[in-house]
Amino acid sequence: MEIIVPVKQVPDVELNIKVKDGAIVEEGLSYVISSWDETALEAALQITEDVGGEVTLLTIGPEKAAESLRKGLAIGAHKAIHVKYDDAKETDSFAYAKILQKALEGRSYDLLLTGKQAQDTDAGLTAPMLAEFIGLPQVTNIIRFSDVSDGRITLHRMGDHGTEVVEMNLPGVVTVNDSLNEPRLASMRGIMMAKKKPLEEVDLDGIGVSAEMRGAPASMTEVLQYEKPDSRKEGKTFEGEEADTVKQAMELLVSEAKFLA
Amino acid sequence: MSKILIVTEVNNGEVKKNSLELLSFAKSQGLESDAVLIGSGISGQADVLAGQGASTVYLGDDASLEIYNTEQYTALVSDALEKSGATQVWLSSSELGRDLAPRVAARQGVGALSDVTQLEVNVDEITAYRPCMATKVIQKCKFSKDGLRVISIRSGFFAADETSPAKANAVSLLIPEGHPQLKVIDVQVEVSDEVELNEASIVVSVGRGVGGTEGCDAVKPLANDLGAAFGASRAVCDAGWLPHKHQVGQTGTMVNPDFYFALGISGAIQHLAGMSGSKVIVAVNKDPEAPIFKVADYGIVGDLFKALPIFREEIAKLKG
Ligand SMILES: Cc1cc2nc3c(=O)[nH]c(=O)nc-3n(C[C@H](O)[C@H](O)[C@H](O)COP(=O)(O)OP(=O)(O)OC[C@H]3O[C@@H](n4cnc5c(N)ncnc54)[C@H](O)[C@@H]3O)c2cc1C
Ligand SMILES: Nc1ncnc2c1ncn2[C@@H]1O[C@H](COP(=O)(O)O)[C@@H](O)[C@H]1O
Repeated sequence: MEIIVPVKQVPDVELNIKVKDGAIVEEGLSYVISSWDETALEAALQITEDVGGEVTLLTIGPEKAAESLRKGLAIGAHKAIHVKYDDAKETDSFAYAKILQKALEGRSYDLLLTGKQAQDTDAGLTAPMLAEFIGLPQVTNIIRFSDVSDGRITLHRMGDHGTEVVEMNLPGVVTVNDSLNEPRLASMRGIMMAKKKPLEEVDLDGIGVSAEMRGAPASMTEVLQYEKPDSRKEGKTFEGEEADTVKQAMELLVSEAKFLA
Repeated sequence: MSKILIVTEVNNGEVKKNSLELLSFAKSQGLESDAVLIGSGISGQADVLAGQGASTVYLGDDASLEIYNTEQYTALVSDALEKSGATQVWLSSSELGRDLAPRVAARQGVGALSDVTQLEVNVDEITAYRPCMATKVIQKCKFSKDGLRVISIRSGFFAADETSPAKANAVSLLIPEGHPQLKVIDVQVEVSDEVELNEASIVVSVGRGVGGTEGCDAVKPLANDLGAAFGASRAVCDAGWLPHKHQVGQTGTMVNPDFYFALGISGAIQHLAGMSGSKVIVAVNKDPEAPIFKVADYGIVGDLFKALPIFREEIAKLKG
């Protein structure tokens, strides 16, 4: 099975994110593969280990996004494609989906496997939009795979009221929930081998992405500014014997917060 | 003039609260709205939507629509859009809405704003606020081109008015074919009378600190006493102590109840992202350094199993 995993390089959200004058402060950010995309990569590796085939990473991003591709290759992907896009600011999910569509033209694959959302946008829009543009079926928020064969796959999706089980004929687009697996780490050997794996570089002109298909002119939505969420006011902490502390907390819950009033 | 098409959802044959919230919000803003209602045997619910202010209710009622599937639902919403002439589509950012909103938008050739928690509507000029980067920042966004606005909105941010049903102006839609490459085989639902997470005003959640299924069973009666939904951290669901539908957080359900009880939960950012909008947070954790205490209004440093019976006693007293 040929699987393409679109991965986005994003700021590590585990670190402190600072905002100044309505913008995110670049300094101090560190860039990683969006964590749901790592789950997608792990799933792709497990599938190809099972039924054969290759995993290709695909990213659209600036020069430094190549680091994430090298990391993905070290983890186990077979090949990578880097669509170079230096001035990616102001590009929304709609525009990324269009560029991905261009990047995929003329390539063959059975499955496009991505994270359910990117860690920087938390949008979850790109993959379904891409699926619609290409005319492929989609199944989002997958928590389990079963019956994987060359032409078909059974997907267990976390829906609103239960697990929805869907059979999909390939090719198709699938997005994963992080509970699907625990992504493996790159081994020393993997890191060494990654250097020899093919990393194809393409530029936007080369795949027919005109100037109007880039940045703000191609995007349907715009971020006006970033803000820090209101921080919660300092709470009260109770230490001591539970028999006392729970009673103290409950008293305030009732008197201050009108609990069960 | 702007007009909103609201994609409504049903569960167990009844319109969900998240849909009523959207209709109420449209009404409070003086906006005209139509609704689209999709499912199996759900036509009777159209009157509930009319009572909540929907001018026209577009119905997709067919056995094939019992379980959500992207293709048929997208086609039905697109059909309703054309018939209603709406300039905006609002959905809940439920799992249905998250899957459907981008597909509908792409089919119409427009962008979308997802998981919005605050919305300002001035005709078709939209200002939307949406948390991102694990809720460490809020984006203030707008649509930058003309055309249809597709917006998915997190539940629990607007109140649903109390209304009574009214006679709906209902229009039945033709039932489209599903995607030829996809077949929905089954939905595995556990039958339960549990309160749904995103519909609850009180949530009691457990973390790895409960130690196992027995620990979960020990906490459940507290949720029952309170008529609360029973939530969990990912660690608990991954360990298989509770099914995944109980997971609260960035990849589980986003909740913002009046009261959130976190028992034995450390408070990782992805968990906080899903519950830090709760009005009042109560946390019990053995570790005084646990990050959950940074967001808790009432933090109890201690053993949850020792705290549990005292909570139940106190609550029993309150309830008289
Ligand atoms: C992409 C991604 C998405 C994620 N999405 C989610 C999500 O949606 N929801 C989510 O919850 N997590 C999510 N996570 C996982 C998250 O990072 C944490 O691993 C998880 O929330 C930890 O769960 P926990 O607090 O139950 O466990 P732990 O972090 O292990 O904490 C257990 C706590 O219990 C306390 N404790 C132990 N025994 C007792 C006792 N007897 N009494 C009182 N306290 C006790 C301990 O002091 C500790 O603080 C996600 C992670 C990633 C990478
Ligand atoms: N620049 C990009 N390069 C490769 N994949 C991307 C890019 N942007 C988005 N994606 C994919 O789309 C997913 C969802 O993105 P989003 O719509 O921003 O939540 C990401 O997790 C990636 O798999």
